[in-house]
Amino acid sequence: MSVYEFRHTESPQAAADWTRRQIVMTDLRAVGGRAYPRINGMLREPSWVFFEILLPFLATSAFVFVYRALQAPPQYVGFVVLGGAMTAFWLSVVWMMASQLYWEKSQGNLELYFAAPMGFMAILFGMAVGGIVMTSMRAAVVLVVATVVYGVTFEIDQWFLLLLVFGLTLAALYGLGMILASLYLVWGREAFQMNQLLIEPVYFVSGLNFPVMNLGLVGALAIATIPLAVGLDAMRQLAFVGSPFPVGTPSVEVEIVILIAMSIGFVLAARVMLAALERRARRDGRLSIRWQ
Amino acid sequence: MAVTASTVEQAVTPVAGLGSPEWGGFDPSRTEDRGSGETWRGFRAAVSLGWQMQANWTDPFLFFVYSVAKPVSAALILVVMLQIISGGNDPEYRSFVVVGSALWSLVMAGLAGLAWSVLDDRERFRMLKYTYVSPADFLIHLLGRGVAQVGVGAMGAIITIAIGIFVLGVPFDPAAVDWMGLTVVMVLGLASILAIGVMLAAVCLQTRQESWSYPDAVAGALFLVSGAVFPLAVLPLAVQWIGLVNPLAWWIQGVRTAMFPGGISSIGGTGSLWTDLTGSTAPDLTTTVVVLLVTGSLVTLAGTTIFRISERRARDRGLLDRTTGS
Amino acid sequence: MSVPSGPPAIDVRGLRRAYDVKPTRVVALDGVDLEVPPGEFFGLLGPNGAGKTTLIKILTTLLLPSEGTARIFGFDVVEDVKRIRRIMNMVAGGEQSGYGILTVREQLWMFSQFYGLTRADGWRRVDELIEAVGMGPERLQRVSTLSTGQRQKMNFARGLLNDPWILFLDEPTLGLDVAAARSVRELVTAWKAAVPGRTVLLTTHYMAEADDLCERIAIVDHGRILAIGSPTELKKRVQRESIFRVELDHLDGGPATLAALPGVVSAAPAADEGGPADRQSVTLNLILEEDGALGGVVVALSRLGSHILALRKSEPSLEDVFVELVGRGFADEDGPAPAAFAPAPLVDDAHVDVA
Repeated sequence: MSVYEFRHTESPQAAADWTRRQIVMTDLRAVGGRAYPRINGMLREPSWVFFEILLPFLATSAFVFVYRALQAPPQYVGFVVLGGAMTAFWLSVVWMMASQLYWEKSQGNLELYFAAPMGFMAILFGMAVGGIVMTSMRAAVVLVVATVVYGVTFEIDQWFLLLLVFGLTLAALYGLGMILASLYLVWGREAFQMNQLLIEPVYFVSGLNFPVMNLGLVGALAIATIPLAVGLDAMRQLAFVGSPFPVGTPSVEVEIVILIAMSIGFVLAARVMLAALERRARRDGRLSIRWQ
Repeated sequence: MAVTASTVEQAVTPVAGLGSPEWGGFDPSRTEDRGSGETWRGFRAAVSLGWQMQANWTDPFLFFVYSVAKPVSAALILVVMLQIISGGNDPEYRSFVVVGSALWSLVMAGLAGLAWSVLDDRERFRMLKYTYVSPADFLIHLLGRGVAQVGVGAMGAIITIAIGIFVLGVPFDPAAVDWMGLTVVMVLGLASILAIGVMLAAVCLQTRQESWSYPDAVAGALFLVSGAVFPLAVLPLAVQWIGLVNPLAWWIQGVRTAMFPGGISSIGGTGSLWTDLTGSTAPDLTTTVVVLLVTGSLVTLAGTTIFRISERRARDRGLLDRTTGS
Repeated sequence: MSVPSGPPAIDVRGLRRAYDVKPTRVVALDGVDLEVPPGEFFGLLGPNGAGKTTLIKILTTLLLPSEGTARIFGFDVVEDVKRIRRIMNMVAGGEQSGYGILTVREQLWMFSQFYGLTRADGWRRVDELIEAVGMGPERLQRVSTLSTGQRQKMNFARGLLNDPWILFLDEPTLGLDVAAARSVRELVTAWKAAVPGRTVLLTTHYMAEADDLCERIAIVDHGRILAIGSPTELKKRVQRESIFRVELDHLDGGPATLAALPGVVSAAPAADEGGPADRQSVTLNLILEEDGALGGVVVALSRLGSHILALRKSEPSLEDVFVELVGRGFADEDGPAPAAFAPAPLVDDAHVDVA
């Protein structure tokens, strides 16, 4: 066999006919493959430590001082710190998931992905895995440092439940990120600008700096639709158990159910939308038009 | 061929016949600097380009929403925080946070505008190298793009303040506004914003694609020491020093003093470093303008210097036409 | 490696593709029919905007056709997308794709994972291909630091990772210098020679490239195939005879002497192209019915005592073929059709100076 040959198959028809195992393993390998540049990139350009960790910590601190200026109860500082940590994941979803396909298209990588046999969801999962690794470090630093510096006291009774809620929140968040990434396939530059609408307005309705129940109906709608809102609300209820005033609503159990439904629903919706939007992008010729 | 006076003269003397300028031949006078006229033309072109790029991607309605939703939401976060704690019984503080939040959208626009111009042109449009090698000064070009972005941000700021006044009950008396002082403060403040934006653009010349989030990160950090949504007096004294040399803090103070005289001061107040140092409760508008001028000039000088150093480093390392990305 | 039997590698029927762009709708493909058997090196030659890239994007499943069908080894490009992607790969020219932060080796390994290679197999295959394309010294270099030619070699290695049954090359030498372009062409040729059962579809607007590499060529313009055939067959469309330019020391009896010979269509004096001023010579354009008639001419010249100082064959280029078919050159968007076909400028490849 020459160096150019790799797999000996009798015919192109035989080569095209993959087993279920081959399909699954290819998708799993693609997840690892796509996560590789994201994690590697993080290690190769150290400026992110300053911009992705230190500065966001300072931004969180600003809201801590707003509450101090208002002479708010100390639990509110805890709300802000927890919200600040979760902000990192939301920004990761918006900038490193949703927008990523737009950037891949303008660089010419997108069409190479679509011409390859792995499922495109595997690429999105790989991006998510890479993003989570990087973002978790940021969130952890913000949480730990802010807790120490500002004297936040967490009261946690059910660690397992808290970690479960955290995991489900991430699953739902990145599932939503996959949906947004699919939309960007077709929207192009408009979707990129839409990112701006997904930052402060989402911060507001998700109660990043205050319990979302204070927003009344708007808060209730956010709990039902935005993973950040419902996840943060549940985590606050679990992290500040002994609080003298209501921290969140509805109950943690209800919010866990909502998160599970969101996780499964978003991922399935992303799968369906990706297939439909890929077909539409192929129909309109948008897989390889740059700057559109 | 040896370089002699005659060969040099030959090189700079226009050639007759088909080599003459009338026939499209080399005209050495074209290599001369055309002065401020050319600079102004380049700046105008950059402003126009920046505006086109901001405004041409969707219909006007969405563009308007983009200029409204973002800054208004930011203000509402703070208003709700205030409402939760004070129960709505502090209209002065509501005015404080609404104005600060509205002005902050200008900061975001200025910082993001310059930084994203560098990243957009380098990574997406691959035009950075062509802009750079043109006769137009690259710094002037970026400033033009930044001004366009600030223009977009200004729309959001004005709308947020208007909503604050007409919907959220922020007390406002147009007769009490010092319009001249406000104009001076705004001009000096915007210059400072652009200077900080230039510094950030300089950083982005060196970093890779993920720098898209840097303007948000830097603005978030500056948010802490600018007195935008809480008085500097709340900060530890050591940190207040940073606020006192931060032109953005003086700019916001100046706008508040000009538009809402007698309101809460972001620089002064009980427990503030300013009061400790000067004995006065809050700086007046004249003091604010002078300090803003001084700090703004220093930041402008620093921004320009850092940009030139970064630009040289980028040329040295061949960063002007690279693409990164992960 | 045997050539696979079965359905054609590429089977296109009535393919149309239109884009709804402002201000007017653009028809990029206007009823294309094409069949490429397995194992063939097939070229699509045409100017910019002819529809070559649109066709290749449809065949590589990146674009849906507006009408018609296209199949790769019997698999439909609309319905059997996954199967096609498992057996094909593509390399385009003029691209800057790739993650600048990764090394060449890492970039290729990442793509090996997309094609289902195991982790270990991926690294091994990447290392083999890096050596095969001559990028050993650059294997640990970051992609962002590669030259254009090096990047294209890397892209070519990426195109071979999954050992494709069909390889699509979309203007692979676009933007490369002469040496780099030659290097890429040599890689393609070496790969095809090593695995002759594989099929290649090359799109290009470089005549020499198509002439050099392809077994058959389709000439494309404004979304239609104007002609298909081997390079020789296509050239014969515009010049059925063989044309030679011969320089003699003298010729008794003049050109008429040669014109009467069997197989000679005409013999006429040629324009003087310069040369040594002190050389006395006679230069003729000979039009022969076929190359074989040249032998008789040489024998006749020998009998006449004439010595051949130089002999060159004039062949039409593929651009001449294009001009014949379309009425304009590749560079002329709306230029007038030529009044009549004139012999193409003599090419140096067949130049024999016997002086």
